[in-house]
Amino acid sequence: MPVITLILLGSIVLLPAAALLSLRWASRSGQLGRFDRAALLPFDEEEPVGRATDQILGDNRR
Amino acid sequence: MSSTTASKTLQAILPGDFSNEDFRRAKLAEIDASCRTPVLFFFVSGLLWLLAGTLFALVASIKLHTPGFLAGWESLTFGIVRTVHLNTVVYGFCSQAAVGVAIWLMCRLCRVPLVAPGIVTVANLFYNVGVTVGIGGILAGDSTGIEWLEMPRYATPILFVSYALIAVWTIITFRLRAERHLYVSQWYLLAAVLWFPWLYGTAQVMLIVEPVRGVVQAAVNWWFAHNVLGLWFTPIGLAAIYYFIPKVIGRPIHSYYLSVLGFWSLALFYNWNGMHHLVGGPLPAWMITVSIVASVMMLIPVLTVAINHHSTMIGHFGKLRHSPTLRFIVFGAVSYTLASLQGVLSALRSFSEVAHFTHHTVAHAHLGMYAFFAMVMFGSMYYILPRITGREWPSNALISVHFWGVAIGIVLYVVVLSAAGLQQGRMMNDPTVKFLDVVKFTIPYLQIRTVSGLLLALGHAAFVVNFGWLLVRMFAPYRKPVVSILAGAEIASPSGK
Repeated sequence: MPVITLILLGSIVLLPAAALLSLRWASRSGQLGRFDRAALLPFDEEEPVGRATDQILGDNRR
Repeated sequence: MSSTTASKTLQAILPGDFSNEDFRRAKLAEIDASCRTPVLFFFVSGLLWLLAGTLFALVASIKLHTPGFLAGWESLTFGIVRTVHLNTVVYGFCSQAAVGVAIWLMCRLCRVPLVAPGIVTVANLFYNVGVTVGIGGILAGDSTGIEWLEMPRYATPILFVSYALIAVWTIITFRLRAERHLYVSQWYLLAAVLWFPWLYGTAQVMLIVEPVRGVVQAAVNWWFAHNVLGLWFTPIGLAAIYYFIPKVIGRPIHSYYLSVLGFWSLALFYNWNGMHHLVGGPLPAWMITVSIVASVMMLIPVLTVAINHHSTMIGHFGKLRHSPTLRFIVFGAVSYTLASLQGVLSALRSFSEVAHFTHHTVAHAHLGMYAFFAMVMFGSMYYILPRITGREWPSNALISVHFWGVAIGIVLYVVVLSAAGLQQGRMMNDPTVKFLDVVKFTIPYLQIRTVSGLLLALGHAAFVVNFGWLLVRMFAPYRKPVVSILAGAEIASPSGK
């Protein structure tokens, strides 16, 4: 069987399977819920919500 | 790693009079410091390729309206110079900036210091060797002639190894993450680093190693070329936007639900888009139609992203005056929306009949790759570099020169070439207009394109000077500034030495 055919068949099977497994994992591990908490993940106790960063230009420098 | 562990590590390394607040802030500083060397490698080498790419871009642009320019050099014909420009900027700069940003974001969001730095370093070495060999091959006349895959076949396996190593490193970091819940940026990053090696490997095998025949080559070529933007650059660019806008303004994303919807709809629709580049070509009509439908469906992820980012920014637009990161990132986010809407329009048969094969397509490509992606990368670097080096940006004036140079330059470029391209297309579709008259019509617009290229070059030069200055400061004794943007790095020198 040509390499091309193997690649195509592999892609057709493996990629949707990987996508479905990812969705299943995401659902089971709660990644598709608790959106309020997820939205806060860029922040932590060191750089909390409400604290602007990177204000270095103009006359408003911290 | 917990704050306690980080504090102990800090205390062991830097004996001094630290407060509890200093220890609490040590965690981010430790993560940032762990990223310093690998991320700097990617950024520095990326910027060197950006300078080379800018030079080749200017040469190519001048040749379009002054064909005799450097005409005596056989390695500098338009076909070679333009190809080298594309490859240096796309693979040399954009990809390396993307990997550098992705590494830092993954460590920050996984809340772990960088693990297995050897993998990242080897990936960087392989990558730069691969790009150097590839660019050298194109200059020597070994281009494959396949758009976006011009690097000769002896260069691409080296690049593939590098992409694969980055993917492996990302998976390791993901597995070791301290924060179990994923932020939407991590979805995009994970998808990008897993999609691209597959995309690149498949296209290489089907077009270079064991080429498919006939029009299937064109189909695979445009499936790859379109997805380089859609499945590699776009996810990393959006990951950065979703992180940096909330981070800079200090406000969570407007709707996390919309961000998840945007990710999964992009994953579903984008990879079908490439065939719209072949409207009018000798492919089965259904293939092109499916691609046009998928292109229109891209309105879902694009609009969800646009609404989400705009709604997050409402009430915070004033911060654009004070944050270089926000300026570049918001510019990039707006450009993403515009490029995507222009892309949807360009996919339609009626529009493509006019705009295809004109400078309108060139403008569209630059709106996506530069105004969106490169600007987001610049903005990300402005945020990341002071944190990983522990130094402030030396010159605010150079930041302003960079922003206004590239912003005015790319707006001029896109507006002028988009408008000129539409008129060019109408003239080409009119059988009573001589082709030479169409060429003459475009010359003034091509001259404006060179002017915009000079503005972009000015901006790049300002950025590189500021970056180099920052690196020099990194090796100089630290003086604690009166004003600081750094949250955790200040504690690196409690005595202010």
